[in-house]
Amino acid sequence: MATADVEKKAEITKKEEKPVAEKITVGHVHMSGCTGCLVSLADNYDGLLTILDKYADLVYGLTLADVRHIPKMDVALVEGSVCIQDKISVEEIRETREKAAVVVAVGGCACYGNITRFSRGGQPNQPQHESFLPVGDLIKVDVYIPGCAPCPQLIRNVCVMAYLLLKGNQEQQELAKKYLTPLMQLADRGTEACGCDLMIDVVNQGLCMGCGSCAAACPVRAITHEYGKPNVNREMCIKCGACYAQCPRSFFNFDVITEFEGISELINGALQ
Amino acid sequence: MSKVVEISPTTRHEGHSKLVLKVDDAGIIERGDWLSITPVRGVEKLAINKTMDQVPKIASRVCGICPIAHTLAGIESMEGSIRCEIPRDAKLLRIVLQCANRLHSHALHNILTLPDMYLPGTDTKINPFSPEEPVRSVAKRIQKLRMVGQTIGEIAGGEAVHPSNPRVGGLYKACTPRAVQKMYDLAKEALPLAIEHMEFMIAVLRNYQKRDWSEVGGKQIPIPKDLGYHNMGYMAAHPMYGSTNLDENPGWNPERWTDVRPWDWYMGEVEVSLAEPNYPIGGTSPVGTKANPQMEACTGVPLYDGAPVEVGPRARMVQFKNYDEKGTIGQQVARQMEYPDCLYTIMNALDEYNPSGKVLADYIPQGDGSLGWAANEAPRGCDVHLAKVKDGRVLYYEMLVPTTWNFPTCSRALTGAPWQLAEVIVRGYDPCVSCATHMIVVDDDKRIVAQKLIQ
Amino acid sequence: MGTELGKYKACVSARSTNKEILKRSQDGGIVTQLFAYALEEGIIDGAIVAGPGDEPYRPRPFIATTVDELMSARGTRYNISPNVSWIKEATRSYGLDKVGIVGTPCQMQAVRKGQLYPFGWRDVDDKIALAIGIFCMENFPYQSIKQLVEDHAGVSMQSVKKMDIGKGKFWVYTERGATVQLPLKVTHKYEQPGCHVCLDYVANLADVSTGSVGSPDGWSTVFVRTKNGDDIWGKAIAAGCFETKPIDQVKPGLELVSKLANEKINKNQKTVEGRATFGVDKALRNPYIKP
Ligand SMILES: Cc1cc2nc3c(=O)[nH]c(=O)nc-3n(C[C@H](O)[C@H](O)[C@H](O)COP(=O)(O)OP(=O)(O)OC[C@H]3O[C@@H](n4cnc5c(N)ncnc54)[C@H](O)[C@@H]3O)c2cc1C
Ligand code: SF4
Ligand code: SF4
Ligand code: SF4
Ligand code: SF4
Repeated sequence: MATADVEKKAEITKKEEKPVAEKITVGHVHMSGCTGCLVSLADNYDGLLTILDKYADLVYGLTLADVRHIPKMDVALVEGSVCIQDKISVEEIRETREKAAVVVAVGGCACYGNITRFSRGGQPNQPQHESFLPVGDLIKVDVYIPGCAPCPQLIRNVCVMAYLLLKGNQEQQELAKKYLTPLMQLADRGTEACGCDLMIDVVNQGLCMGCGSCAAACPVRAITHEYGKPNVNREMCIKCGACYAQCPRSFFNFDVITEFEGISELINGALQ
Repeated sequence: MSKVVEISPTTRHEGHSKLVLKVDDAGIIERGDWLSITPVRGVEKLAINKTMDQVPKIASRVCGICPIAHTLAGIESMEGSIRCEIPRDAKLLRIVLQCANRLHSHALHNILTLPDMYLPGTDTKINPFSPEEPVRSVAKRIQKLRMVGQTIGEIAGGEAVHPSNPRVGGLYKACTPRAVQKMYDLAKEALPLAIEHMEFMIAVLRNYQKRDWSEVGGKQIPIPKDLGYHNMGYMAAHPMYGSTNLDENPGWNPERWTDVRPWDWYMGEVEVSLAEPNYPIGGTSPVGTKANPQMEACTGVPLYDGAPVEVGPRARMVQFKNYDEKGTIGQQVARQMEYPDCLYTIMNALDEYNPSGKVLADYIPQGDGSLGWAANEAPRGCDVHLAKVKDGRVLYYEMLVPTTWNFPTCSRALTGAPWQLAEVIVRGYDPCVSCATHMIVVDDDKRIVAQKLIQ
Repeated sequence: MGTELGKYKACVSARSTNKEILKRSQDGGIVTQLFAYALEEGIIDGAIVAGPGDEPYRPRPFIATTVDELMSARGTRYNISPNVSWIKEATRSYGLDKVGIVGTPCQMQAVRKGQLYPFGWRDVDDKIALAIGIFCMENFPYQSIKQLVEDHAGVSMQSVKKMDIGKGKFWVYTERGATVQLPLKVTHKYEQPGCHVCLDYVANLADVSTGSVGSPDGWSTVFVRTKNGDDIWGKAIAAGCFETKPIDQVKPGLELVSKLANEKINKNQKTVEGRATFGVDKALRNPYIKP
């Protein structure tokens, strides 16, 4: 748009109207992450604008807004692991738990430590920064979104479902609960992830059927299939947890996935 | 008597940083320290004895906004060490990736700095998330440009954020003609938008430059004409891509690089003596807060020819395009001017690219421990990675990332500005603080480390 | 009939009208024909199929973007082909915006899970344009097939022309025209263990799913399941791609499909339940309850 237009349109800009439905409040809490998770959220493109227009007020997020201290909020999207040698980080994660009704660990770092699982300090100017913990080792986390970077579409789905859970009618709340259940169970399952999970919790358990979902999920191409079964190159794996979460034999909730057509339509409709 | 103000944390940029400012009675900054307070994940140290294939994947994850730069600089420093020349078609796809990243990153930066700016002809600051016009169209255009950048990055790079396709020796997968066509079409479609957007952004920036004041926390703060001026030099390795030690005429010289610790550079302990509770949002640190930049800074201070340098779009424009506008607005304008080039370069590289060509070197040496480096022109400036690889394992790894170069330079650029505008100056650098965790151990006599490295 | 056949909008017996396809297709050439049609009409840009691999009858998943490539993948290879492993790359270096994929019921489950819960499949969910499921009682590791063919059937892998499971038998047809049949009893121990917890026989989550059971030789039973599947199937019929017969007019018909589906599901449901008490106060994991 040329500047002249901008000036003209600026004059006729009307007062912002309050949206009809009540929105939920959402914050982005940045711990020791790379901001790739936030970029993923932003990569919903126009969908992000719709989410902010209709469903969620962004009340905190140092990268996007000027609010300097963690406010009360419905949903905290936490990115990154927590350096326990850094006082501010530890305070912030505690405060996040106190201020947020729902804490979502977004991305491999927050869920499982991801690359910070390799950190071992010794680097000036803060050589003592050597221990980075997944958020769930310090506070109770409600929902997990593994992956590195996590997918924009999953972050979007969780945002829409969180909205339905907190503001929807009974039927919508039930759907949201069902949808979020496995992501809550992943949070309960623990704070460790590795490509080895495919061996330990799928192949060793007699559950692998060789679909290939895990290899497609891996963000560092650490997984190949040899005669139909996964092989993980452990010297590539960054411990993001995407492969196991993606595996249909980690969880498969018939009550939700069987309804894929309807749920996809619902989510797409919500973002129109 | 000068007073001390602390703004912590600073906002609307990547990562955690803060400002410790000594100001005079009129609130003008006499000395400013801008420092990273992001915990140091220690990628350089954790890299030691890992494989040369894994380390760049980890390095990518120091920053999710310019991960492509880190991936490529990481990989190319390994290739520099093992002396591996990659096939031409792999190089072309890396160039495509590079430009795609810059396109998305500059667009994202617009979202972060627009709230400091005014809609031309009004006294209304821009909220990029407002559903009202004309802002909404701008936001959509920004998202569209980002989408194009991220999608092209995803096709050539395998993933939109941390690219999975690049590897030591080239790439895992070549792009098919269909993929090439798709990237080309996206770039072509984005070109007029990018030009339109560049013009819009420059107009908004020039409008700010012409203003007498900016409103901050309910006060009208005078905007000095020399906002963000500094007398430091510039450093850039290439107008678009970068350079490595394998180049015939390298664009960067490790012998000109030295490093000092924050201990020798930043202020020692100070106590906050001026607080402004109305500073948006949440106020500055309360009076009595102790700050100690020397101790708290999480990055080192790299010097080029013994002095801090500015890196980034303006440094590239100064070095390669005879650009000479100083100050924050000059820096911001230079960034916008890079938009069209991102797309032209993508289209040119795709024109040259041969989908049936090789993308992986036939032979990948495992390294004898000699030094390699790659200076990649990341969106926010020259990102230098140095590596030594022996038998496929990393012996030594160093990342001199853009914001680390810019910390001391920007600190100097704060002098003379009203403290309330310090963050505007900082944001001009498009700081990306998470990645700025570089530090190295220097000799106590501060010998030029590079000489030691090259041996 | 209960839920064992999943939701569907229509069920017919069908076969391709293209003789070339039928020459080497497993059954009625439904998969190859429907993809070929979709490819020619621009409904898909390419399809992930299981083509010939490095060893005889070992499948290699690949992305077919031409009808010739689709033709090279005709026929069933009774061992694991991780087709889903290509689902993301198809949208990356291949540049596909509309992806077709064929797979077993579990692979259709994987695809749908990935659309609703994309952990590592960024920007894939809206690019799956046609998912064709094939019925599946069980699958085998490659070594199992080798042992069945070479040891039990006494045929060398190189000379196999076609394998089939049907009418309660495992069939091996050789290039030289011989036929060997093995009772399914001997095949059971060779099955892929992961198949024993599988609760889907007829690819309930595909857009269109197909298999031989229920229809006469050379014909296939076809379920049209989703809106998208219905739309594409309808167009393909209108374009004359298939001959069809109402399913209630063919033998053995839907009843057999139902019977086999129930058998599979009941048997495997028991296995799933048995896993809860597999050890002494120790359970094996149940993916249908939690990760
Ligand atoms: C392991 C297995 C078990 C089966 N069990 C039954 C059964 O119990 N009852 C029944 O009615 N039908 C079963 N089928 C399906 C049947 O064998 C045919 O594949 C189906 O009827 C399609 O035939 P068509 O002529 O339409 O396809 P065609 O045109 O011949 O194309 C077949 C397609 O299947 C793909 N394909 C081949 N092998 C595999 C594989 N291993 N994994 C994934 N995709 C593959 C090929 O890429 C090809 O595109 C089974 C198939 C498999 C792979
Ligand atoms: S999970 Fe990945 S994208 Fe997210 S913060 Fe960690 S490294 Fe960055
Ligand atoms: S995703 Fe598929 S191939 Fe990978 S472990 Fe799970 S079942 Fe096996
Ligand atoms: S194997 Fe890949 S997907 Fe799995 S945890 Fe490791 S990096 Fe993540
Ligand atoms: S029986 Fe089930 S798990 Fe096994 S291959 Fe067939 S569909 Fe997959």
